[in-house]
Amino acid sequence: MSTPSSPTVFVVDDYAPGRRSIMRLLRAAGFVAAAFASAQDFLAQYDPQAPGCLVLDLAMPAVSGLELQNILTQKGSLLPIIFLTAHGDVSKSVQAMKHGASDFLTKPVNDEDLLAAVRAAIEKDRALRQEHAELAEVRARLATLTPREREVLEYVVAGKLNKQIAGDLGTVEQTIKIHRAHVMQKMRVRSVAELVRLTQRCGIGIA
Amino acid sequence: MSWVTAVWSMNAAACLTLSGFYFAVWCKQRQTPMYLVFSCSAIAAAAISVFELWMLNSTTVDQYEQLVRWIHVPTWVLTLSFVAFVRLYLHAGRLWLVWSIYALRTVVLIVNFIFPVGINFTAVTDIRQFSWGGQMVSVPVGTQNPWGLLSTISLLLLLIFSVDAAITVWRSGDRRRALLIGGSMIFGAILAWHVPLVIWGVIDVPFFLGFTYTAIVATMGYELSNDLARVAGLARELEISEKRLNLAADSADLGMWEWDIARDEIWITDKGRALLGFDPSERINRDRFLSVMHPEDRDSVLQTLENSMRAGAQYESEYRMMLPNGQLRWMTGRGHVEFNRNGQPVRMRGASLDITKRKQAEDQFRLVVEAAPSAMIMVNTEGQIALVNTQAEAVFGYSREELIGHPLEMLVPERFGSHHMDYRHGYFGDARARPMGAGRELFGLRKDGSEVPIEIGLNPIHTSEGLFVLASVIDISERKQAELDAARRRNEMAHLSRVTTLGELSGSLAHELNLPLGSILSNAQAAQRILANGDANLPEVREILGDIVSEDKRAAEVIRRLRLWLKKGEVQQHPVRINKVVQDVLKLIRSDLINQQVTVHTELARNLPTVTGDPVQLQQVLVNLMVNACDAMADCNAPERRLLIRTAIEDGSSAVIVSVTDCGGSIPEKKMEEIFEPFFTTKEKGMGLGLSVCRTIIAAHRGKLWATNNADRGATLHFILPVMASDKASVTTNNGIG
Repeated sequence: MSTPSSPTVFVVDDYAPGRRSIMRLLRAAGFVAAAFASAQDFLAQYDPQAPGCLVLDLAMPAVSGLELQNILTQKGSLLPIIFLTAHGDVSKSVQAMKHGASDFLTKPVNDEDLLAAVRAAIEKDRALRQEHAELAEVRARLATLTPREREVLEYVVAGKLNKQIAGDLGTVEQTIKIHRAHVMQKMRVRSVAELVRLTQRCGIGIA
Repeated sequence: MSWVTAVWSMNAAACLTLSGFYFAVWCKQRQTPMYLVFSCSAIAAAAISVFELWMLNSTTVDQYEQLVRWIHVPTWVLTLSFVAFVRLYLHAGRLWLVWSIYALRTVVLIVNFIFPVGINFTAVTDIRQFSWGGQMVSVPVGTQNPWGLLSTISLLLLLIFSVDAAITVWRSGDRRRALLIGGSMIFGAILAWHVPLVIWGVIDVPFFLGFTYTAIVATMGYELSNDLARVAGLARELEISEKRLNLAADSADLGMWEWDIARDEIWITDKGRALLGFDPSERINRDRFLSVMHPEDRDSVLQTLENSMRAGAQYESEYRMMLPNGQLRWMTGRGHVEFNRNGQPVRMRGASLDITKRKQAEDQFRLVVEAAPSAMIMVNTEGQIALVNTQAEAVFGYSREELIGHPLEMLVPERFGSHHMDYRHGYFGDARARPMGAGRELFGLRKDGSEVPIEIGLNPIHTSEGLFVLASVIDISERKQAELDAARRRNEMAHLSRVTTLGELSGSLAHELNLPLGSILSNAQAAQRILANGDANLPEVREILGDIVSEDKRAAEVIRRLRLWLKKGEVQQHPVRINKVVQDVLKLIRSDLINQQVTVHTELARNLPTVTGDPVQLQQVLVNLMVNACDAMADCNAPERRLLIRTAIEDGSSAVIVSVTDCGGSIPEKKMEEIFEPFFTTKEKGMGLGLSVCRTIIAAHRGKLWATNNADRGATLHFILPVMASDKASVTTNNGIG
């Protein structure tokens, strides 16, 4: 598997000639690609940290494409999936999209369509991974707060004034000011507006 | 009276009696001269006895001289008679001896009367008397006549003749007669030598030549009486056999007759009179006979009669008699003409038989044949047509006259002609009722040259004229046409059903086609990119092109299968390997099975014999069964969707069985047959024709399709197909009639 920095296109298809042709196309377009003949093979080598996307055949014996999608979802994978099928089955494509498929293409697929979908998926993966990284950072900052500071933060993002917070918490305004300064420092923000944006991403806000 | 007188007289009387008796017999049967010959010899023997008695009692020389001379007359008669008897009765004795004896004896007789005293003595000088048995008897004493030697020689010849005849008879096998007649004559001829011995004075005995001859005569008489007794026996047997013959003739309705042509008188047995309708006592001649004959038959009978009288041919004719009660009676007459030395016909003998019943049976047979709904053709062992009915004229387009007497092969298409003759000969060798050409398509040749499909039943018919074969021929053109129509409708239905099935499978088929098309496109575009990138990696381009070629072929194969599937043409009758059909079907619906996540297991028997049929139609059946099985498992969990396809030999290698087993639901028992009915369906989209079409297809392949429930879960559909004949035994594809 490639280094985490370079995204890989994972191709899972039971139909060998089809798999080979997609691989050739992807490599010719400059992608790093890896091929698997079945869902089981893919799962055996799957690394959630590896960036990229999955080009998945819908109709496969034993474990089908949709089943693999479910398994990956259950594992919390964010890997974008491009379904590629020779079978134009509407109900299945709807099901796939509902479950978060990145794209649904039918064979024979035009190279530009496939490569665009792959690029979009990789970009999506990259964005997702970046977002996840940011979120983790915010959460890490949040984790450094004391419970009192956390309480103060919630009042702050709710738009309460120091005086009001002090009243609600049964303390003096000066104490709140100190807590508030700690929060701003620990969360590495300069303005309340910035703090609100960060906390919103983490799902913290006024109930 | 002295005893000598008594004995010699009795001997004479006995001979006389025999003579008289057989003379009487001869008078009644003049065609048998033996009786007369015997009568003569017996009377001669009697005369000799009388002469001897006279000589024994003779007292004067003169008297003795006369007696010795005259005794030669009966002796001459006796000798001639004996020889004649041997010739006539025993059919033996050399002819030159006969004539020598006759001549010599006659010379002796003549010489006897030329000399004054006779042939024995030149003179009788005295009579010698001596006592013999208490009686005085006389024998002559005199000078020997040298000519007497002739008499002795004749006696010797007679002995030789007798011995020779006895040997001939002995050799011919009739030893009893040889011993009796030959022996007695030899014995007599030897004893006769006592006469010269007495005359020469060597021995003293009275002349007893009469007894010697009597012994021979008695033997002859005994033989003749045997014959008489046999004749009487024969007469009795003849009477019995005549009675038997009459009985047989009567019970066979056979009348015997004899026609005296010169006198124009016809004698007929009582049965014959009754048969021909004549009074028992009526006098019958030719005209009277013709008068009771049916006028239409007279000419032909007269013609046959004239032909027989002119050329001596066997007379044979069939005619009708008009009985007094107005009825007609069919008769057949057979006879032959006897001619006299001048070649004139004098007599005709023959028999007439009542054949009314046979004629009626023949008429009935003709009527039955004529009334038969199918064409009937009767053929003799030479293959000539003997009888046809109107239907046969209609089927083959010939008129009756054009068929009867002609070879049957005129109704057989030329390509089967020579085979047919062999078949026909074979049939006559083992004639029994059976359908002809089992398993073969039979055709008849019509007058206009066209061929007509037929079915033939053969029946041997044994008649008085020999063996015939009655062929019942059915024109099956209409049936064939109906079969063709039915087959066409069935095939249209099958095609329609295939198109429908294809509609249901279209997604899956598109998949099968899109797979290679997708590969081709991606490969080609990858190659374009590789080339555009400028780093021409030739090995990879070569690989890409290789893949493109094979994928293109795969796509073409899919299209070929589709075209075959959709083709609406004549049903093929090919040798089909059923395992190949199974594999083709699995390819055809592969993606559908994957799509429905059905796992297929196959248990295909090795070395299966081939079946005959249409591969596409058999594929269609399997596709239907498998699609149904997949549908039946739609509600099962994916890992449980297992389909088993088995092929096996059945019924001792005479059939192949294919079964499709699913793990879905069971079929309710009462619907086991219903599912094969048209428009039965459990699907929302289905027409309900699938299984009914499958059953029709399998039936057209002479097979059977049925369903059973599995022990655990799901159902199995089976179909069985007969193995191709050539895989079991050699097939005959020839044709013929007869």
